[in-house]
Amino acid sequence: MEIIVKDLTFTYSKKTKSLAFRALSGVSLNVKEGEIFGIIGKTGSGKSTFVQHLNGLIKVQKDSGSIIIGDFDLTDKKCDYKLLRAKVGMMFQYPEHQLFAETVYDDVAFALKNFAPDLTEKEIESRVREAVTITGLNYDLIKEKSPFDLSGGQRRRVAIAGVLVAKPEILILDEPAAGLDPKGKREFLELLLRLKNDFVKTIIIVSHDMNLVAEYCTRAAVFMGGEILATGTPKEIFSDEMLIEKSGLDLPLTASLTEKFKVKGVAVDSDLTVDGFVESLCRALKGGKI
Amino acid sequence: MRDLSFGSYFPAISFVHKMDARAKILIAVAYMVAVFLVTAFHFLGFGACLLFVLIATIAAKVPFKLVLKSIKTIIFFVVFSAVLQLFFNKSGTVVFWVITDVGLLNAGFIIARIILIVLGASLLTLTTSPVELADGIEGILYPLKWIKFPVHEFALIMSIALRFIPTLIDETDRIIKAQKARGADFESGNIFKRAKALIPVLIPLLISSFRRADELADAMDSRCYAGSKNRTKYKKMHFTLRDLLGVILVAGLIVGIVFLNNFYLLSELATIAGAL
Amino acid sequence: MSLLEVKNVSFSYEKNKTTIKGVSFSVEKGEFVAIIGHNGSGKSTLAKLLNGLLKPSGGEIIVGGYSSKDKSALFEIRKRVGMVFQNPDNQLIASIVEDDIAFGPENLGIPREEIGERIDFALRSVGMEKFRKASPERLSGGQKQRIAIAGVLALKPHILVLDESTAMLDPQGRKEIAEVVDDLRKQGVAVIAITHYMDEAVKADKILVLDRGEIAISGTPKEVFSQKERLGELGLELPLAGIIAEKLCARGVNVGGVVSETELTEALWKLL
Repeated sequence: MEIIVKDLTFTYSKKTKSLAFRALSGVSLNVKEGEIFGIIGKTGSGKSTFVQHLNGLIKVQKDSGSIIIGDFDLTDKKCDYKLLRAKVGMMFQYPEHQLFAETVYDDVAFALKNFAPDLTEKEIESRVREAVTITGLNYDLIKEKSPFDLSGGQRRRVAIAGVLVAKPEILILDEPAAGLDPKGKREFLELLLRLKNDFVKTIIIVSHDMNLVAEYCTRAAVFMGGEILATGTPKEIFSDEMLIEKSGLDLPLTASLTEKFKVKGVAVDSDLTVDGFVESLCRALKGGKI
Repeated sequence: MRDLSFGSYFPAISFVHKMDARAKILIAVAYMVAVFLVTAFHFLGFGACLLFVLIATIAAKVPFKLVLKSIKTIIFFVVFSAVLQLFFNKSGTVVFWVITDVGLLNAGFIIARIILIVLGASLLTLTTSPVELADGIEGILYPLKWIKFPVHEFALIMSIALRFIPTLIDETDRIIKAQKARGADFESGNIFKRAKALIPVLIPLLISSFRRADELADAMDSRCYAGSKNRTKYKKMHFTLRDLLGVILVAGLIVGIVFLNNFYLLSELATIAGAL
Repeated sequence: MSLLEVKNVSFSYEKNKTTIKGVSFSVEKGEFVAIIGHNGSGKSTLAKLLNGLLKPSGGEIIVGGYSSKDKSALFEIRKRVGMVFQNPDNQLIASIVEDDIAFGPENLGIPREEIGERIDFALRSVGMEKFRKASPERLSGGQKQRIAIAGVLALKPHILVLDESTAMLDPQGRKEIAEVVDDLRKQGVAVIAITHYMDEAVKADKILVLDRGEIAISGTPKEVFSQKERLGELGLELPLAGIIAEKLCARGVNVGGVVSETELTEALWKLL
């Protein structure tokens, strides 16, 4: 499913003029199937208002642009939001805080029972097993446990299983690695890559972590004051000095080193992933004086 | 959801803002008593109350719009009470269908009463920060210490509750959205189904409230909290001329209304006195 | 004498299950100590022991001459060891900034005039003077956390413990807190930061790596991050600059065991 957003505008408290606040203005964006797309920008730049539009948690206001996701036209009054939400999964920050059921099984099955009430218990069980297993947890050991007895990292996995169980084609993640320790963070990001290959088709990541964006995203959009300043590959974005200054974003370490080498007259041309950067740096250095 | 926060504090530097919270609370209570006392010469009585609120609003430099907004949030309640009076008051003569003249009058009184009371209450919360309010109540309840009532703890609980309302509203909003993203449906089905649909919201909310309470307790302990013993207060309340003026005004209002209520009696007394 | 001395401290929440085992270290004036470790390694428990929120079941903590064993010294310890937690929302108790900051001094029974001075001092220390009358709910995460720090500074602590205080902040907020920490150290306040961010730990004078309630490694950032294998076993990893340096070394570009961006660039310039 491709995401096509055209000229999207959104105003909070639209009815009361004194409180009205325009969170998005004229946002246009295409995300193709198969991308890992980054949504970046400072706090309050409209990122979160934007992504909440993509699964209908925030409805497109009248005469405020359009969103088309696959066959779904979100400006259409007849749009089936339930079906849309099954196809466009969303995981909020600290998703483990939304766990509620008595057992891991019930919690993970929650979305499935909502989205597909006609499934048999057997079908549900097999889907839950699949979702829990892909997050790296041992299904048989954990299914009967209370989610509240698990460790923080396990809870996070259960929460993501609870989103994956609906088999969304598009997965939106808001700051997915927040609060995890370094090992947990790495494992979680590896899980995302695994998902990307054989579970979900498109991943959208909202994050402040530019190193993560440079390492994993195919493209990203830079938000500021409710508008998109630029869209491009991490390389295109982080090499645009004017853009970085204007948006107030930090550089990923690879980009900041590239910048410093440029000042010294050494061109390091890479995609800004750590391996890509090391590779080009070695080439640049070996082609030079070493 | 935040728009609902009924009459939340409107910071400004004004006569009313500067008044002592204790005085303001007492005046507000006295004003409400006055509204309830109006039983005769209604137009004059309610008019006097309205005038009192208007003067206070001007002195508070609070935009009229904001004060009026508070009525919006209780409009349903007002209409409901008025309708009850209209349809179920059987005394008096029928004016139209089942509606009697007394019912009509009573409905009018009830609307006036509720609106006047809400105006007064919202003016109090608009001009008094939650902390001052809590301190004010603590001050007023202070004498209860004699009967071992935990006045300080009570006030602290209130101020913390006030502080956490917006936080919890945000959190509820977030949890609702997260469960909606997992296909939860809060809008369809009968009342039982809807109540059941709230479980995935209430349980995480409850758990997070416990977690917050726990962390807050640690934070308070870390800042050397040990109850009211040997505690000083940064903000001391001073009873000033301003407060005196407020008290005189509200006292005048009450006296005036009582006078109106007993006007017949008084005039009779006067004639008797004249006859003598 | 050290500001803080932790002597062979142990602690268990339940019987037969020790959370902290024989931990010893000391903190000097103006020192910056980072405590790192995977989730569940006992970091937060250790933090809570430092200001008496928890009582050691074995060993002793000495702060400014007061011992954790002495029940009556609890407030003397808490006055000296200020603690800031992860979620700024859960630490602010009042709806107005100055009232919140006054809370600590009020608890100590400090006279009103002095509380006013302390509020001035605390807000100045975190650069939030303009927000004295503001309501915390309208502030950003970083600003709220600065107010939380100010609330602790109003007690004039000698040591500030930050228990994952930057975990919920955006990069802007983290920068703000880092600046506040730098300023405080210049004034001689020691800072103990518990963190998951390796690039924060790199700036410390001393790092303690906690694992299953014990100090597994301690030393300067350079010493600690030179033990890459061991860190991996402990569920940790090098800061990104260290990872890049390591990959460069593996490919024959010898930059040595650097851990921070500055060190990495310096090492690289030498090779140019």
